[in-house]
Amino acid sequence: MRDTRRVTYLALLVSVGLVLSIIESTFPPLLPLPGAKLGLANIATVIALYMFGPWMALEVTVLRSLLAGILRGSVIGLFLSFSGALVSTLVMIVLYVVFKKKMSVIGVSTIGAATHNVVQLLAAFLLIQHVALFYYMPYLLLISIPTGLFVGFASRRVVVSLEGLSLEAV
Amino acid sequence: MDDTKQRGGRFWGLKVADIIAVCLVLAAAAGTMIVLSGSRSSARGGLALIEVNGRVVNRIVLGDDAKKTTYKVKGRNGESVIEVQGGKVHMLESACRDKICIGMGWVDRAGQAVVCLPNRVVIRITGSQHGSKVDTVTE
Repeated sequence: MRDTRRVTYLALLVSVGLVLSIIESTFPPLLPLPGAKLGLANIATVIALYMFGPWMALEVTVLRSLLAGILRGSVIGLFLSFSGALVSTLVMIVLYVVFKKKMSVIGVSTIGAATHNVVQLLAAFLLIQHVALFYYMPYLLLISIPTGLFVGFASRRVVVSLEGLSLEAV
Repeated sequence: MDDTKQRGGRFWGLKVADIIAVCLVLAAAAGTMIVLSGSRSSARGGLALIEVNGRVVNRIVLGDDAKKTTYKVKGRNGESVIEVQGGKVHMLESACRDKICIGMGWVDRAGQAVVCLPNRVVIRITGSQHGSKVDTVTE
């Protein structure tokens, strides 16, 4: 019973993440910067982390970014978003575990957004091999503050509303 | 989940560590900005290198000439127009979608750069003119 619940919630969170990333891809670019996205899909990861723990967050991230990459049909895009999402999720998990009492979801998701952008830039550097790429770094870090805060507040709203939802049968 | 309960009370339910987190990211942004823009004390002028795909295609000596000069280079997507005036250089037109490079404005100090990634065009300012020790070059 527990496993069935778990798989269902996992599938639910992955589809929420996918739908959010599809919705986001229809928005005009937030700012004229490559990689400057709102990161709506990250909401699914953060919710998974705070409601079901680190392992679920990792699973949601891996499945969501692989599926989003396949749906978008771009191998380069898959590599970029997968690397960024994976490393930022790992960092968020570490922060969540280490600073559980001290840092709230807001700080965790802000650092997560910053990590995502930095790693994505590093991954892009591996592909393009152009030092000039690093000139985007300060802008990407700056933009990750409002996007990370937005994702944090949105996720907290959801987590608070869904409090009490658990893997155990009710 | 206990940390999500204490909304209200404090400022939007933020904790000290959250504010530290935001400050850290801000500091990282400022740090990279300072590193990339070169130290403030670095001299104006020098040499502007125009690179396409990482290869230097043109070298422009930045004098104090008030006259506007434009240079055209062919990037990956099309033409980029670079304008030089009074020892400063900027991207005037670019065949890219986002026009970030144009938004980067004028640069005039060694270490600064204007970058257009989509079109693979970079304007980079280097301090010395072929490493010579002379202060100015008259032409």
